[in-house]
Amino acid sequence: MALEKHRNILDYTLQALLRRKFKNIGIILVFTFVIFMLSSILFLSYSLRQEAHLILQDSPEIVVQKMRAGRHELIPINLEKDIRKIPGVSSTEPRYWGYYYDSGAKANYTILGIGTAILKNNRLLNGRMPLPHEKNVAAIGRGIADVRIIKKDIGSTLYLQAADGRWMNFNIIGIFESDSEIITSDLIIISEDDFKILNNMPEGMATDLIVHVSNETEIPTVAKKVKEQFPDSRPILRDEIIRTYDAVFGWRSGLIITLFTGALIAFIILAWDKATGLSAEEKQEIGILKAIGWETSDVLEMKFWEGLVISLTSFISGLILAYVHIFFLGASLFAPALKGWSVIYPDFKLTPFIDFYQIATLTAITIVPYIASTIIPSWKASITDPDTVMRG
Amino acid sequence: MIRTENVTKYFNRGNPDEVIAINDVSIEIKKGDFTVLKGPSGSGKTTLLSLIGCMSRPTSGKVIVENRDVSRLPERFMTEVRRNTFGFIFQQFHLIKGITVSDNVMLPLYPTGIKPSKLRKRAEEILINLGMGSRKDFPVQKLSGGEQQRTAIARALINNPDIILADEPTAHLDTHLSEEFLSIMRNLQQEGKTIVVATHDPLVYEKDCVNLIVEMRDGMVKDIIKKN
Ligand SMILES: Nc1ncnc2c1ncn2[C@@H]1O[C@H](COP(=O)(O)OP(=O)(O)OP(=O)(O)O)[C@@H](O)[C@H]1O
Ligand SMILES: [Mg+2]
Repeated sequence: MALEKHRNILDYTLQALLRRKFKNIGIILVFTFVIFMLSSILFLSYSLRQEAHLILQDSPEIVVQKMRAGRHELIPINLEKDIRKIPGVSSTEPRYWGYYYDSGAKANYTILGIGTAILKNNRLLNGRMPLPHEKNVAAIGRGIADVRIIKKDIGSTLYLQAADGRWMNFNIIGIFESDSEIITSDLIIISEDDFKILNNMPEGMATDLIVHVSNETEIPTVAKKVKEQFPDSRPILRDEIIRTYDAVFGWRSGLIITLFTGALIAFIILAWDKATGLSAEEKQEIGILKAIGWETSDVLEMKFWEGLVISLTSFISGLILAYVHIFFLGASLFAPALKGWSVIYPDFKLTPFIDFYQIATLTAITIVPYIASTIIPSWKASITDPDTVMRG
Repeated sequence: MIRTENVTKYFNRGNPDEVIAINDVSIEIKKGDFTVLKGPSGSGKTTLLSLIGCMSRPTSGKVIVENRDVSRLPERFMTEVRRNTFGFIFQQFHLIKGITVSDNVMLPLYPTGIKPSKLRKRAEEILINLGMGSRKDFPVQKLSGGEQQRTAIARALINNPDIILADEPTAHLDTHLSEEFLSIMRNLQQEGKTIVVATHDPLVYEKDCVNLIVEMRDGMVKDIIKKN
């Protein structure tokens, strides 16, 4: 009985929505677009952040760089034995890495010379890694394989120009298949020996030093000690890096805040229009319903259904479109804005990470005000005496 | 059945545009009466009808319907009385455009929670009685004036009301259709329903079946004529 009542009112609401088809479709389109923009932004920023975290999780606790005149410089490997004496340090190792500018693709790749350090984050590797002293072999990211290599597979050859101008050839023995992960996609891994030749590295020098600390709580103390002993060094903590990523990909980044406010303003206009504009026809309909025996609460229930049907339809379609846009189409609409990647990631795909807390927030800031803006003006209309309808 | 006791209704009370639409009106309508509220434009017919029908509340005085003072009821109960006791036929018909004839007829009872299939059956019965059976799935805006009114009558009857209120029902109808309307009302009267019509159409108030004429002027009762 009670349930039937609500079903009847819902039935009527659906009829009413169909009657004003064009107006309502218009509202749904705008609303869907707003949700699409907002959730695209949320999906994108959240997934980027998650990926960054995932990768950085495997990165060393402390990286020590040598600084000269405020710039990063090669570090002497023999610092290792002094650093190892600092209490709390469990091991150290040199790292060889840098960038390789590919003038053909106009892109910078990250190039890593592998020594004793084996990249932990290799679960996505297809094939294998180069060994520290193995010559002319490389493992590369999918992004590079697609840009640089004709056959695009293990067994083909990658050519890189060395510091002295000679071309070196590398046999591809492994590919990071995930085109989703930001860091591995543009990565080239070669042996330590090849790296030194390619970049003409002086003996006894590395790009930076990795310091492993077994006890999390000792990390800041160790970093402080390093800085004290070697004032021209800069210890970088993993936590700092994570925080930097958060700032770049997080809510506050410029691109995101701009798009976000834009979409929000569109939504506010939509809701405002709804909140202020009850057409004469709608007003009269409310009067008629009241006059023929509907209670104020019945009228409001109808308006509630109306708001819910419209906002839920828009919300779900906006969400689905955003999901497809970000995770299947590689955020193609935002690509021009995300300059850094658009070259090397012409069609990068993110792993879907969804933050349900953000979706709940989005619901709260869109569906709730929309329903309110549907109900409130009708509430004003429906508490007036129905006898006004007799004169309409 | 219906009694008003010194009913007064102001609009915009206390403002410069204050109007006294009904002034100290006391009338009594018995069960089965066919009553006409008669009077020139602005005399307060519509206002009185809406007070009787629980569509608005008097500023002072009492409206008593079936021995119950409805003039001070909270809105929920007023709605309940309105839904259970009255059937309204408006001058402009006030059908909801874009839905069918039978959906319009069913509309008053949607919030009661009666099963739609049952409601629809009842609506169709009433429409058939009014000769509208073939029009039940028509969108209302495609109906002729007379058909629209019969749809409005059917809607007024869906809740099987004891009292039928009609405001200027013949204003938009030609003589032939007005006669038809009156014969429908007469049939309803014979079924035992009480009928109150606000009109200044002689075609209505000169009918034999009308047995109570309340003549209004400037919000007051000028004359009450009882027949048979
Ligand atoms: N909502 C309102 N606000 C202000 N004045 C009103 C309102 N409703 C009615 N009035 C005034 O009350 C008086 C009575 O109006 P009412 O509609 O009851 O007359 P009526 O006899 O039905 O007239 P008509 O034959 O033109 O329908 C009129 O002067 C009218 O202007
Ligand atoms: Mg009137």
